[in-house]
Amino acid sequence: MEETKIVNGAWELSTFHFPIEGRGLKTMLKNMKDKKLVGFKCPQCGMVYMPGPFYCRKCFIRIDDEAEVSDHGEIMTFTIGYADVRGNPLDEPRIAPVVKLDGCDSWIMGVLEGVKPEDVHVGMRVKVKWAEERTGSLQDMQYFLPE
Amino acid sequence: MRNVGIIGIGYTPVFVSKRKEVNIPEMISEAVDAGFQNTGLTPADIDAMVFGNMHTFEGVNLPHLWAAEHIRSLGKPVMRIATGGTTGMAAFHAGYYHVASGMADVVMVVTYEKHSEGDAQVGLMGIITPEVMTMLAAGIDVTGGSGMGAIGGGSAGGISFQASSYLYHSGAGIEHIDEQAALERRNAAKNPYAHLKDPEATAEKIAQTPLVSWPIRFGHICPTTDGATVCILASEEKAAKLADKVAWVLSVANCASDATTANLIESQITDPAEHLPAIIASKQAYERAGIVDPKKEIDYVEIYNGFAHQTLMYLEKIGMCEVGEAHKLQEAGELEMNGRCPVNASGGVVSTNSIGTSALNRVTEAALQVLGQAGEHQVEKDVHTALAHGWGGLMQYVTITILGDKPKKA
Repeated sequence: MEETKIVNGAWELSTFHFPIEGRGLKTMLKNMKDKKLVGFKCPQCGMVYMPGPFYCRKCFIRIDDEAEVSDHGEIMTFTIGYADVRGNPLDEPRIAPVVKLDGCDSWIMGVLEGVKPEDVHVGMRVKVKWAEERTGSLQDMQYFLPE
Repeated sequence: MRNVGIIGIGYTPVFVSKRKEVNIPEMISEAVDAGFQNTGLTPADIDAMVFGNMHTFEGVNLPHLWAAEHIRSLGKPVMRIATGGTTGMAAFHAGYYHVASGMADVVMVVTYEKHSEGDAQVGLMGIITPEVMTMLAAGIDVTGGSGMGAIGGGSAGGISFQASSYLYHSGAGIEHIDEQAALERRNAAKNPYAHLKDPEATAEKIAQTPLVSWPIRFGHICPTTDGATVCILASEEKAAKLADKVAWVLSVANCASDATTANLIESQITDPAEHLPAIIASKQAYERAGIVDPKKEIDYVEIYNGFAHQTLMYLEKIGMCEVGEAHKLQEAGELEMNGRCPVNASGGVVSTNSIGTSALNRVTEAALQVLGQAGEHQVEKDVHTALAHGWGGLMQYVTITILGDKPKKA
């Protein structure tokens, strides 16, 4: 590794002007303060998306109807991480499930606590652990727990 | 549309981690020279060029113009294509369109990657910048320790959700991923243009490598490789004049779908192991080539497998076997070079990944099998028809090319 040169620097995030939140994520974050999960429902096929896009991915028609989604759901797939984002080994393996919440057709990724890695499986029922103090941030949904 | 054939292939002399003795255009010129030497053509024979490499991996923009002399493109039409992992085959398809349409008679497709001069992870982050920025703004914990949207590590983090779902739905086990990686590293040992070669590779050896993100181990993951590949395409009329043996393009197809990563902009609705694009593109390619039963009519397959489970998963998606059957073919030895369904005799992407070339190498390796010119890694059975598969984009883009030893009947 002695041949690797390291150049320290900072990434000024405010120089990026992406449409940061979008309607779907704004609606979701606003309602999470009240422990509510809100997506958008296609008036034609009934697909529910959270966060909700402007257009249905199946019908390609405009969606404007909000729909409430449960904070309970089912694991669709998962991974178990053994290293952090910098590649350093973690003290404890970290379980990352992708969950389909009841009443929602899109999936959401998170962290699963309260279960051993060897006991996680596709189809497992889980629920959201909400933060005590909620601020309208993604941190309001702390992690998933077994149902 | 006109018939199109592959009349020449050129590789850099080696595909390795670091080509320090040459810079990017010099390295590319080695493959271009090899393409001319192998065919006896000169730059004057080439009507148009298509250039492909991954965006941002080396931080070099417009490499096709920077390297103009080295690829002999001066004074010719040239376009650059970048579609992620599929880049090499997307560039090949663009070359095919040039010739099939009659816009050009002879086209050279040039692809490269020089991973050692850049940072693939930075390049991959560039692909998901809007998602990351949105998640940061919405309060995500970038360490992945809590909250929604735990961020995996680069491509391996995202792909582990696919592998996990594939294992669940197919009934295969992590040991089958271990064996597939071992099988392809053994094949790679017979290919002079492969990177990670291990004639003694076994599932047990692979199983000893550390888990990165379950079920993906270090031994299941492709290397970062320096290398370049060139492929020359010609119309049927020109091919008859310029080449003794031709691998004919029977069909091409490609398909994209949604992002299939559980990020907070696209609201994922698709199982990353469902891979509808592979199913749609392969069906379309079979129809266009007049293939009714791929299991019987396709003799050889090259799968784009950045991660070893993908060989098995995509064999099922493209209809070379039923869902849940690929790992059983593996157990029966059918995926080996002397098997009934030989796959990735080249060693696949899991053994060699200079990413801009990787999807084109699936085509050139399929062509070498059709031509009977693969040398030590030529498969045992006769190859009349071969399929090359490319995978890339943001997990969701698939390219298919079918080659044959005879031109397609009009």
